[in-house]
Amino acid sequence: MAISSSSNLAKEEQKLAFKLLLPAFLILIIIALYPLGQVFYTSFTNREFASSTKTEFVGLDNYQALLSFTVKELDPIIDQETGEQAVDEETGEKQFQRPIRVLPRDPHLYRPAFEFSFFGNKYVVGARTPDFIRSVWNTLVFTFFSVFFETLLGLIVALVVNSEFKGRGAMRAVMLVPWAVITVVSARMWEWMFEPTRAGLFNMLGDRFGLIDGSYSFLSSANLQLPAIIAVDVWKTTPFMALLILAGLQLIPNELYEAAEVDGASKFRQFFNITLPLLKPSLAVALIFRTLDALRVFDVFQVMLSQKRYSMASFNYFQLISARKMGMASAIGVIIFIIIFAFAILYMKSLGVDTE
Amino acid sequence: MRKNLLLVLALVFIIAFSGVVMAQEEDEITLTIAAGAVGQEKATAEEAAAMYMERNPGVNVEILDTPDLANDRYGLYLQFLEAESSKVDIYQIDVIWPGELAEHFLNLYDYGAKEVVDKHFQAIVQNNTVDGKLIALPWFTDAGLLYYRTDLLEKYDREVPKTWDELEETARYIMEEERAAGNEDFYGYVWQGNAYEGLTCDALEWIYSNGGGKIVSDDKKITINNDKAIEIIDQAAGWVGGISPAGVTGMGEEDARSMWEAGNALFMRNWPYAYALGNEEGKPTAGNFDVSPLPAGDSGSSAGTLGGWNLAVSKYSEHPEEAAKLAMFMAGEEVQKLRAVEATLNPTIKSLYEDEDVLEAAPFFGSLYDVFTNAVARPSTATAPKYNQVSEQFFQAVHSVLTGESDARSAIEYLELDLMDTTGFETGEPTQP
Repeated sequence: MAISSSSNLAKEEQKLAFKLLLPAFLILIIIALYPLGQVFYTSFTNREFASSTKTEFVGLDNYQALLSFTVKELDPIIDQETGEQAVDEETGEKQFQRPIRVLPRDPHLYRPAFEFSFFGNKYVVGARTPDFIRSVWNTLVFTFFSVFFETLLGLIVALVVNSEFKGRGAMRAVMLVPWAVITVVSARMWEWMFEPTRAGLFNMLGDRFGLIDGSYSFLSSANLQLPAIIAVDVWKTTPFMALLILAGLQLIPNELYEAAEVDGASKFRQFFNITLPLLKPSLAVALIFRTLDALRVFDVFQVMLSQKRYSMASFNYFQLISARKMGMASAIGVIIFIIIFAFAILYMKSLGVDTE
Repeated sequence: MRKNLLLVLALVFIIAFSGVVMAQEEDEITLTIAAGAVGQEKATAEEAAAMYMERNPGVNVEILDTPDLANDRYGLYLQFLEAESSKVDIYQIDVIWPGELAEHFLNLYDYGAKEVVDKHFQAIVQNNTVDGKLIALPWFTDAGLLYYRTDLLEKYDREVPKTWDELEETARYIMEEERAAGNEDFYGYVWQGNAYEGLTCDALEWIYSNGGGKIVSDDKKITINNDKAIEIIDQAAGWVGGISPAGVTGMGEEDARSMWEAGNALFMRNWPYAYALGNEEGKPTAGNFDVSPLPAGDSGSSAGTLGGWNLAVSKYSEHPEEAAKLAMFMAGEEVQKLRAVEATLNPTIKSLYEDEDVLEAAPFFGSLYDVFTNAVARPSTATAPKYNQVSEQFFQAVHSVLTGESDARSAIEYLELDLMDTTGFETGEPTQP
C-alpha cells in the first residue's frame, strides 16, 4: 500500500512538473525551434527575398553551391626559347598558368579561392562560392586572434584591478567604458581613426614619428583589414573578459595565498599553482562566451569593411539583402549554426566543463 | 486609500480615451517618405514637406533618414517590402531599381500622373515604366561630373583635362608642386572606389569613354571582356596610391567630397549635389572650382553615368491616395526648383533648365545640359531583375584590380564567366555610337 501510494505521488508530481514546464516548452518552440525549422526548410528552396516569384524546392543545391571545392595543379609556363620555366622579369618569381585555364567551368563555374605551393608545385583551390570559403576563413582567423588577445589582456587587467590599490572602484568602472559603447558607434569611431590620410589618428601618429608615410589604408589593403578589425574587437571586448575573470578571481579564498606565502612559494609559483587552476572554470565559461560570440561577428565587419571583406554573418547578410537569395542565405545560416555548435561541443569536451 | 486609487484610475481612463477620440476627430494622417540624406537632400526634402503640411492640414509628413550608400539603402527597403510594411508610404528609389522592385509599387497612372509625365525627361519616364505602369516619378537626375579647382589650374597654367591621360599628367604635376609647397596632404584626383554601386558608376564611365562598351549591351550581350575595358581599368588602378590616395578604394561620394572641400584635391569625380555644398562660405573650395564633363578615353568622347532618384508609392501604404498626391507634389515643379536652387539637385523637368533662378544658382545646368541628357545608363534594363547581382560582380572585380589583389585581365575574364552564369546571356563585342 505504502509503496503504491508513494509511486502515485511521484506520478502526480511528474504530471505537475510537466504541466509547469509546458509553457516554457511552448515558448521555446515558438521563439526558437519554429524559426530554426523555418530556416532549415528555406535552405532547401530557391526562395527570393522580398519578391513574389515562385519558390521551388531545390534539395541540396544551395549547400553544394556553398561547399563544393576542387584542387587543381597549375602547370608551369614553359619559356619557348630556353625550355625552362618562365620567370617574371620584375619580381623574379616563377610563372604558372592562371587558375582560369585549369578550373572547371561546366556544369558549374569554379573560381579560385586561394593558391598554395607544395614541393615546388603550385596548386589552386577552386570553389563555386569562393567568397563564402574566404568568409569562413576570415571569421576563424578573427575569432582565434581576437579571443586570444582578449583573454590575455583581460587576465592582466583583471589581476591588476583585483589587487589592492587606491581608487580601485573607480578603475573598475572606467575599465568598462569601451564595452559599454555600442559596437556600431565604436566601429565608426575606429573607422575615423583608420582614415587613409593624415586626418586619421594612426596615419597622423605614424607620420609624426616617421614610421609610415601617412597614407596607409588600413581598411582597404588586404593585409591590414583583419588586424584592424581584430584591434577594434580586442579594444571593445577586453573589459568583458576582464570582468568575467575578475569574478573568478574573487572566488579564490585568500587563505590559499597566505598558506603559500608561509610555505615560501614565489608569486610566480602562486599564480601557476593556485590562481590559474582555480580560475579554470571561469576562464572556460569566458572563453566559450567569447568564441561563440566572435564566430557570429557581424557589426564590426559590416560597418568597417562592408563588401570589401566578409565575415560569415556579413556574407550571409549580403546574400540576403543585396543578392536577394533567401534560400542561399538560409543555407549559410544553417552552416554557421553547425559550425558554432561544433565549437561549443569541442569546448565542453576539451575544457571538461561539467554539464551536470 | 482605495477610493483614491479608483479615482486615479478613472482619471487615467478618461484622459487616455479622450486622447484617442480627439485624435480621431482631427483625423490626422502621417505619411512617411524614405529619402536620401546625402548632402542637403534631407534638409531640402524637409523644407518641401513643411510646405506641403502647411497647405494640407491634417497631413503630417515625415522624412525617414536612409543610409548614404545606395546598396545599404536597397537592403533597408527590401526589409520593409518583404514585411509588406505600411510604415513607409513613399520610397526614394534609384534609377536602377524600377525593374527589380516594380511589384511593390503602385501604378501612378492610376493616380493622375498622366498629366505631369510629359514635363519630365522622357528617358527617365521610360526607365520608370514597367509593363506600361509608371511605378515612380522622376525626382532628380544625376550624371557624373569632373570637379576641378580653377585657382590651382590657373596658378600652374594648366587647361581643364579633356582626356584621362591629360588628367593624370596635370594631377601628378600639380600634386607634386603643391606638396613641395607645403601641403603634404594634397592629392590629384579623388573619386568613388569603395566596393559598392558608386564604383560601378565610376568604372562604367572609364570604360564607356574608352570605347569599351557598357558591361552588358542593350541587346543583352556581355561585352565587358575587351582590351579597351581592361586597359582603362589598369590605368585607373595605377592612380591608386599615386594621384589618388591609397584609401580611395574605401571612398564613397561623401568621403571624396569631404577631402575635396578641405582643399586637399585638385580634381574630383562626383554628382551635381556637391556643387552647392562646395560653394558654401568658409570652405576652401568656395568660388574656386567649376565643373566640366569627365575626361574622355580612346573613344574620344566623355561619358557620365546616369544617376538619379525617383519617388515610388508603396503598395502597402494605408493611404495610397494621399501618398500619391504627396509624391506628385514632391516631384512637381515647385519642389524640384527649390531643390535645384538650394542643393543643386538636377531637375527632371525640362522647363526648369531654362529657369533664371535655377541657372543662376547652378550655371552648369545650362552649359552641361547635354551631359545630363546624354548620360550613359547602367545596364539595369537589360539585366533586370538581376541588375544588382551583375553590378556587385562588376564592382567586386574592379575593386580587386584597384586594390592589387588581382590583375585586370583575370578579373575581367572571371567577371565575364560570372555574368554569363548570372544572366545566361551570350558574349559579344561592345558597340558604341
